[in-house]
Amino acid sequence: MMRINPRRSAKISAAGLKRIVLTAPANVETPHPHKPLLTKKNSKAHVLVIAHSERGTLNDHARQTIAAAAILADAETKVLALILGELTEDLTSAGADEIIVLPELDFERFQPKLELASISAVIESVQPMHIFMPDNAIGDGDLGRRLIASQRTKTAATQVVEFDANHVANFQAGGTLLAQSALPEIILLAPNCVDAHLPFATSAERSDSTVTNQTSANQTETSNYQDLGLQTIAATEIALEEADFIVSAGNGVQNVATFESLAHALEASIGASRVAVDDGKFARDKQIGASGKTVSASAYLAIGISGAVQHLQGIKDCRHVIAINTDASAPMVKRADLTVIGDAEEIMQTLIALIAVAKLTKLKVAA
Amino acid sequence: MIIKRIAVLISAGRHPTSGQPRHCRNDSLALTMAVDLANSHSTELDVIHAGNPENPALANYLALGADEIKVITAEPIIENLAANLKDVDLILTGSRAENGQDSGLLPYLLAVKLNIPIVANALEIKQMDDKLEVLQFFPKGKRRRVAVKLPAIIAIHPLAFVELHYAYAREQQGKIVVLDSRSTVNNTVAENNLQWQIQPKMRKPNKLKAPENLTGHGRLLSAITSENKGGTVVNEGNSVEKAQVILSYLREHQLINF
Ligand SMILES: Cc1cc2nc3c(=O)[nH]c(=O)nc-3n(C[C@H](O)[C@H](O)[C@H](O)COP(=O)(O)OP(=O)(O)OC[C@H]3O[C@@H](n4cnc5c(N)ncnc54)[C@H](O)[C@@H]3O)c2cc1C
Repeated sequence: MMRINPRRSAKISAAGLKRIVLTAPANVETPHPHKPLLTKKNSKAHVLVIAHSERGTLNDHARQTIAAAAILADAETKVLALILGELTEDLTSAGADEIIVLPELDFERFQPKLELASISAVIESVQPMHIFMPDNAIGDGDLGRRLIASQRTKTAATQVVEFDANHVANFQAGGTLLAQSALPEIILLAPNCVDAHLPFATSAERSDSTVTNQTSANQTETSNYQDLGLQTIAATEIALEEADFIVSAGNGVQNVATFESLAHALEASIGASRVAVDDGKFARDKQIGASGKTVSASAYLAIGISGAVQHLQGIKDCRHVIAINTDASAPMVKRADLTVIGDAEEIMQTLIALIAVAKLTKLKVAA
Repeated sequence: MIIKRIAVLISAGRHPTSGQPRHCRNDSLALTMAVDLANSHSTELDVIHAGNPENPALANYLALGADEIKVITAEPIIENLAANLKDVDLILTGSRAENGQDSGLLPYLLAVKLNIPIVANALEIKQMDDKLEVLQFFPKGKRRRVAVKLPAIIAIHPLAFVELHYAYAREQQGKIVVLDSRSTVNNTVAENNLQWQIQPKMRKPNKLKAPENLTGHGRLLSAITSENKGGTVVNEGNSVEKAQVILSYLREHQLINF
């Protein structure tokens, strides 16, 4: 009897799966192997997404907003993403067809007049059908409201929690009522009302906008506002929910003193798993997870934490998760963006030493 | 410049579950800040509400420190408020109302109408000559200091460092006056207006998801291959190399600055 290789090469066509293939399938390198690339050659209209970047990347909320625009846009509508602040990441999976980056308008600086003038110039030149912005506290919520107030002929909705091609909805009267209306021109989206996962990739071409460069040059007049600088509260003083960098200890951490000096060296807030808290190593208010706190740090360093679902629930909004664990099959490894397999104590000690050296060399270079 | 007149705008709030009228916490913070500022600079303070003078929520504000509440009943709200705020040096508001549309737009619309600057998310305010220094809230433990030229509108953040003091005696002493109810403005500009329809029943909002029309093969593929990146796993090397990997990851993503 002859066995047929069940994994023999095949071709997928519109009619379905074709087993008879004459040549071996060409292996084309695409950035997203399972996703078809969506290209919009002769676009007639635009939808515009405006968002600030953070450290050169877009946060989940901003990505959701771009995805929202991409889902809504039809084959003849281009999604133009106007990114305020530097952008170092690739946005092909986010849903943008075209990108304009204005690095001088990053969220760390307070320049509402210049920002409003720049985005108004872009809006003027592309005449978008809809404008989407994340309704957040890093500047987009503020800028969006300034935009709405300056263009009172445009219909607008803020804190939108639900929407599709025909309607938007938000909570009103202190969250006691849900109200619906037709899709307005300016939409400020609340977080997590869109699934940022898209089944297609987009071209995400960068284009330079000359319009905006001109306005930024003309807008150097002294304004009513004066920025006195952004400051960061010491990690030990801020609430865990608000912390940006958390080092978290689990059952795999034996020596709390080492752990605490690592947190100090990294200027990070301290968190812990339930087991570590139950052991009396940390106060109850440090517990992260389903029965503890939900955190949304940019960096979460999980040391000796297995990653039980109850714990992972508490860190679902963390951007970069790094794990140190002796067990490569722990569930935390699947969640983490980077896992280092090894003994917690040893690696923590080495990290502390390396950080001390790095800080010293930085001081010397500066001096 | 000395601040001669301060105005604070208050809205009628609602209890989130019972729907009972009550003060709106954000506005009470603004009120308390305004009262403190007015007392320390001995300036005139106007507490203004646009809406129904009969609203029982207003009594809460009397108890929280307002001696007198001026009520503007004329519509449109923004224009009539602006007409009453022409010679005010500092206007304080909460960041979002708890009644009506809760859009958080009012201070911005008012700022455009009066042509004065606005700073939102204020935690602390301090007067410095002809400027006001504002400490602004940012997520992730960040704060920003901004100086703004007066007159200005400041919207107070819910986390502002203010303690509310409720006194029944003040509620009894305070009074509510209705300002001339005829509208002083008669323009009808478009106002970002949308027709909102209140849903009869409260429900969970639906999340928008991209439609995926896959072939049977595609669905099978997506079921068996997870797109989960799963991250990099570093197994090799001694502890120095491993620690170095962590540090370079942190540096690469600008999470540390050394
Ligand atoms: C109703 C309910 C609610 C819960 N709520 C929470 C919650 O809010 N938060 C929470 O955290 N948990 C919660 N839990 C508990 C949760 O299920 C887990 O038991 C707990 O998170 C496990 O903690 P852990 O990972 O620190 O310990 P363990 O599961 O013991 O894991 C220890 C990890 O450390 C590793 N390790 C051991 N030694 C070393 C070493 N020397 N170096 C490096 N790694 C090492 C091990 O490989 C292991 O992966 C809840 C449970 C229930 C039932």
